[in-house]
Amino acid sequence: MVPVLLDIITTAAILYIVSSGLLLVFGVMKLINFAHGGLLTIGGYAAVIATALGLNPWIGIPLAAVFGGIVGFGMERVVVRSLYNRPLDAILATWGLSIIIGQAITLVFDRGVHFAEPPIRGVISILGEPYSTYRLVLTALALLLGLGLTAALRGTSLGLSTRAVIMNEDLARGLGINSGLVRSITFTLGSGLAAVAGALITPLSSVDPNMGVAWLISAFMLVLVSGSSLYSLAFASVVLGGAQVIVSNYFGSVLGGMTIAALAAVILRIRPQGFSYE
Amino acid sequence: MSDANVKELGSSSIQRLQVRPLTKVVFAASIVLIGVGAAPFFMDAYSVNVLVRSMIYAAMALSVDILWGYLGVLTFGQSAFFAAGAYATALVFTYGGFSPEYAFAAVLIGMAVAVALAGLVAFLAFWHGASALYASVITLVLPIVVTQLLFSGGTYTGSSSGLTGFDTIPLSTEAWFWAVGVWLVVLTTGAWMYTRSDAGRLLIAIRENEQRCKYLGLNTSKIKALVFLICAAIGAIAGWIYANYTMVVAPEIAGFTFGTELLIWVALGGRGTLFGPVIGTIIIDYASAHLQGDFPFVWKLVIGIVFVSVIVALPRGILPLVSNAANWLRGRTRKAQPEQYSQLQLCKAPRIERNIVVAGPALVVSGVEKRFGSLEVLSGIDFEATYGEIVSLVGPNGAGKTTLMTCIADGSKRSGGTISIGGQDIAHRPPEECVRLGVGRKFQMANVFDTLTVGECLQIARARLDPLSKWKKSGVCQLPPSALHVVRATGLHSDLDVPAQLLSHGKKQALELAMVLALEPKVILLDEPTAGLTKTERTLIGTILTELATTEQLCILLVEHDLDFVRDISSRVIVLHQGRIVLNGSVDEVVNSELVKTVYAGSGH
Repeated sequence: MVPVLLDIITTAAILYIVSSGLLLVFGVMKLINFAHGGLLTIGGYAAVIATALGLNPWIGIPLAAVFGGIVGFGMERVVVRSLYNRPLDAILATWGLSIIIGQAITLVFDRGVHFAEPPIRGVISILGEPYSTYRLVLTALALLLGLGLTAALRGTSLGLSTRAVIMNEDLARGLGINSGLVRSITFTLGSGLAAVAGALITPLSSVDPNMGVAWLISAFMLVLVSGSSLYSLAFASVVLGGAQVIVSNYFGSVLGGMTIAALAAVILRIRPQGFSYE
Repeated sequence: MSDANVKELGSSSIQRLQVRPLTKVVFAASIVLIGVGAAPFFMDAYSVNVLVRSMIYAAMALSVDILWGYLGVLTFGQSAFFAAGAYATALVFTYGGFSPEYAFAAVLIGMAVAVALAGLVAFLAFWHGASALYASVITLVLPIVVTQLLFSGGTYTGSSSGLTGFDTIPLSTEAWFWAVGVWLVVLTTGAWMYTRSDAGRLLIAIRENEQRCKYLGLNTSKIKALVFLICAAIGAIAGWIYANYTMVVAPEIAGFTFGTELLIWVALGGRGTLFGPVIGTIIIDYASAHLQGDFPFVWKLVIGIVFVSVIVALPRGILPLVSNAANWLRGRTRKAQPEQYSQLQLCKAPRIERNIVVAGPALVVSGVEKRFGSLEVLSGIDFEATYGEIVSLVGPNGAGKTTLMTCIADGSKRSGGTISIGGQDIAHRPPEECVRLGVGRKFQMANVFDTLTVGECLQIARARLDPLSKWKKSGVCQLPPSALHVVRATGLHSDLDVPAQLLSHGKKQALELAMVLALEPKVILLDEPTAGLTKTERTLIGTILTELATTEQLCILLVEHDLDFVRDISSRVIVLHQGRIVLNGSVDEVVNSELVKTVYAGSGH
């Protein structure tokens, strides 16, 4: 029982980390960034680079943030900016960007699987059961991330502008908020977060040019179910992540792999606004 | 312009219309078929081999284009139906062995499975109130679920390596080339004729403005589901051919990545052009096969870059660019010819059996309430309206006038009370069924199909009563006298071939009014029909409305802010204030009422 419970908590934490960047972009820009998977992959390779250079594995994380941020900033400038009024086209264009990222990575590295040095190894004993220390560290990081993002949105003037843009962009612009700048910063931040998430999950999943796709689908479903709230994202991560763990445990990992997508589709059919309370 | 004039214009072009396009299509298809027949003799075996696969993919792209380019349903899941057909074939041949009967059974099973899956998707994705994004999400979930199911089949479905080594229809590569080529040409021709037909315009109407379609009495969910099922069946046939031809199936063909690749081909070729996706797919897949060996990753990178650029800069794809260039060249070399407009013929619809003098009230509203959470927008609304009456609803902003209109036109919207139209309770019927009972609604903002022509808009409005031709442009639009009168009086009959988005604001309003009247409603709801109109246009609309009420015995419910207009045309006025009826009486009573002055001016306390 204890390992399952721990699995549920840590899976939810990982899903939260992976989805928060996508949620930020979706919340502010009402835009679904299908390059999220590609950015996640960039983060994974940042960890691989850190390992290859013989650096401390923790260095891979800020490295991922920088890579992801730069790529995200560029994407927003060149491509995403012109698609704000065409949401379905934006999905396709960002998917195209994801393909470009994947192929560029394949050209630099190769199609094969790479491994990065995990920042922490070993297990820790919880109520007599050994459990992966790293997954528990990730849970703590997810909590920190959630608190940090909430604090940033609540406590800074940029956060205030961002919330204004989320609620009513036209009004925000009328009040002199540079919504273009807010969007640009948000997209860069969301991309950085995606890459950080990619670096953080490397000890749990192998690194290859397509590593982001499966995560993208899960993150996308979670975000749709959550609307634009960080709280409902946490709730959705626990519910859907928990369901995934339980289904995987009792019905095999193959069916577990489609739990999030199938469940999210049903939830949205019954309640189109998902877990968002608005 | 007189009645005879309109007919003349129409009839001269009608003969030209009925014969020529069909001959043209048959002629073009024959030329392509000759090309297909000759091609294998001029190509090396490898190219023929690759092109068979490319043409199968092209058929898939065609089905995606119908869904996305015409109907506006962005689907990531067409690959799942392809896999249904392919796996049905592989499983039947692997476990039953090959025989012609089994081959036939396999295609039926594949189509049945695909249609069943599509039915499930349609049930989830196309319901009253589902967003376009939600529909796309469901089509995205489908390939994921199907792939996982194929994996979970274990050795039975071959899991991740798929199935291979089964016997299939024994045909040479050239024979496959001809068979698939003919199939693709027939399919494309059929799709071309369908999308160019009157019914094909309906797909575009749904893409442009699904809400208006519903309020024209069309069950858009059903139409979307039907087209989706047909495209699923086409996908399954393509999968069946694929499995027969390649003798290999793997879970990748069911996947989201293949589903998205189809979208890329369609986007590059040009969505909503049919030929673009077909030609684009063949060129890209053929080039991939040749270039991937030499430049494996660079080629896909180039495709990715071109794809993003096309989405950003050329949303309509590459084919329109090519055809524009061709037109430009032709314009340079040849004398410009006047465009051949397909003039539409308007004519009077035969009267449907409807008693002109009907007993009882046309509209009964009793005890209607509308709440949003704890906010009460309407409460205790009771009134009746009879045939031939023009009832104006007035009241300050936020009084609940538009909400009341919505409750009458959409049975699912009110929180309490009953509404009946011509003696029939609307219960919780969706808008398209309320139209059937006799409600016609004109929105506040002119709500028409922007890219369709005026004539096409009118045809779509008649689609509920006069079924649309599925394979040609009929060139005729039957309208009831009232709609015809509006069209003539506002001069729309000379704009029948003008796209609705180019009309002036006033003409758009008139077009929408004509579309609503084409429904032959008993009760029409008009939300500020004169907003933004000039004084002359306003008078014209006023005259038309009074005539309609007297000659057609229509019950007209009108929301208006212009009290002069209300005074001129209304037979009765209802004043709404804060969600309640405060006055229901004749024009004079209301105009001289102190209460109305108080409500509007907010003074007098």
